[in-house]
Amino acid sequence: MEPRKESKVMTAAEAVSRFVHDSDTLVIGNYTEGSPLALIFEVIRQKKRGLTLFSQSGNIDAEFLVAGDCVDRMFSAFVTKWGGRSGGSMIERYRMAGKLQIEDYTNFTYNAMLTAGAAGYSYMPVLPAIMDTDVFKERGFMGDNKFGVTTCPFTGKTIPVVPAANPDICLLHVQRADKYGNAQHWGGLGSTVQACLASKQIIVSCEEIVDHDVVRSSPHHTIVPDFRVDAVVKEPWGAHPMELPGYYSTDLDMLGIIGYFISQENGFQELIKEWIFNLPDRASYIQHYIELFGKPILDAYKARPYYSAPTNYGIGTRSLWDENGRNISMSVNLEEMDKLIVEKGDLVND
Amino acid sequence: MTKPYTRQELIVIAVARQIQDGDNCLLGIGLPTVAGAVAKHNHAPDARLMMESGIVGFDPLVPPMHIADACCTEGYSYAIDLFGMFTSIAGCGFLDKAVLGVAQIDRYGNLNSTYRISETGERQRITGSGGAPEFISYARETILTLKGGEFVNELPYLSSPGYLNGGNDRDSRGHYPHGSGPSILITPNAFFGFAPDTRELVLHALAPGVPFEKVRSQIPWDLKVANELETFPVPTDQELDFLRCFSPRSCFTNTVADELTISGTFEKMAKRQAFLDRCRAASQK
Repeated sequence: MEPRKESKVMTAAEAVSRFVHDSDTLVIGNYTEGSPLALIFEVIRQKKRGLTLFSQSGNIDAEFLVAGDCVDRMFSAFVTKWGGRSGGSMIERYRMAGKLQIEDYTNFTYNAMLTAGAAGYSYMPVLPAIMDTDVFKERGFMGDNKFGVTTCPFTGKTIPVVPAANPDICLLHVQRADKYGNAQHWGGLGSTVQACLASKQIIVSCEEIVDHDVVRSSPHHTIVPDFRVDAVVKEPWGAHPMELPGYYSTDLDMLGIIGYFISQENGFQELIKEWIFNLPDRASYIQHYIELFGKPILDAYKARPYYSAPTNYGIGTRSLWDENGRNISMSVNLEEMDKLIVEKGDLVND
Repeated sequence: MTKPYTRQELIVIAVARQIQDGDNCLLGIGLPTVAGAVAKHNHAPDARLMMESGIVGFDPLVPPMHIADACCTEGYSYAIDLFGMFTSIAGCGFLDKAVLGVAQIDRYGNLNSTYRISETGERQRITGSGGAPEFISYARETILTLKGGEFVNELPYLSSPGYLNGGNDRDSRGHYPHGSGPSILITPNAFFGFAPDTRELVLHALAPGVPFEKVRSQIPWDLKVANELETFPVPTDQELDFLRCFSPRSCFTNTVADELTISGTFEKMAKRQAFLDRCRAASQK
């Protein structure tokens, strides 16, 4: 049964143009795995400016957004220094140049802000040991609002808390979605669900758009429901060169090249020009990759199937009427039912 | 007689030996995950390996690239999210061991992975604290590894609490599980513990071929030494065979591994070379 709803399928260019605005707070929904790089490249291509970025792991996704001059401020728990210890990262270069402010949290406290936001709470308790660290004591652009302290009304214990975060827009890449926006993801969960549900608007890109029946038969994979999603974008290889279980592994060669150029500042700008600005979309990005390096190299990273055991959602009682048309509890058929209604029912139109 | 092995292999296997069968063991990325795989394929087949993204009970086929890398394993036994990992597993006391890498450490096992101070006095980002602060706080025990990191008298930034000011300071705060904290630190040169009373770093063993002076020169305080030094664990051929197959780059220093990887990648594809040359030329403009 197809629900009577409108399709939200559109191109990345249209989705980003409609739903990402200058000065937005933007959260990268994926927790490193399956990073929404097709959508991120489009944000850079459309020259969005002044973003506050939630980037938990400071991966190449954040490196690209920062080096694309899109980001002024960043919530961070980690910056993966792709350029190595000495080579640093674009994020670090922008910070050192005074072009980027970073507020440091831990993986858990970063997540807890989004968990509060996703639950509709104004704050979330976090594990108390954080109070002994400089992560708690040092305040950046969040100032006094970085952490708070409250008292448990039941035990009297002191509890550190973080404020709720509700980003304006979440970018998410998943394995599959239906055209209404039910997004299905499996693999490292991280903070992905909280990042989505905390956000005011969500753009989902996916490797495949599937029939609604596929979603209905596997609701345990739906991490964000259709009514929260604003746009669905079909983007095969949408996370490349990062990985996505069931579809492809990390492209170590491409990542090695990106890492190399993160260590060479000007080289990275050249990379952005060649792979983002000179290409209109992800399909042409993949085409460019194939032309440069050859299809066998890309294909070598494709996943070999390893299927989850089928999940049996079958039920025993599919109808309250047996094969002879009799109700299984009251032992009447529909004809007898009509008579019983007249005889024993609390009739209105008597 | 064991086959020739490198100092980098020595330390991976020393760390692996700390993981026991049946442990619920959280692994940081890099050396800890490689050591976890060695343990699982040698002496601890029932160790339950975990990554903080909520990938629990995994058995890596290749070294994970990052802490949410579900593509390092075909399946795993439990998919929880990061919030549950830190609260229901670590916070509620179900994490036996955390194995974490160290960037900077002080004498009481406190860690800094956020900023170091450069020679010109500027703050330089290391990485950020990631998951270490809560894991070292709430795991029953934490094994530390230090490969490229350093010992410092005073941390410029305390990211992750060890024994704080030493003695019973950690326990007296009232919010750490009793007896938790860093138990062992393994470096390519030595094996350390923490004194039960003062909680200060103590040298327990020297790695083969490493003179005491070398270890002492890297530590900017008066290093305490155990009354009797123990023997540093030495790899077996079986462990080495697995390690070399599982993670060839772990057998070399990062510099050599990076050189081999980059030249390997670039040699593989002449077209990539042309692309690289163009970018190189552009970066030198």
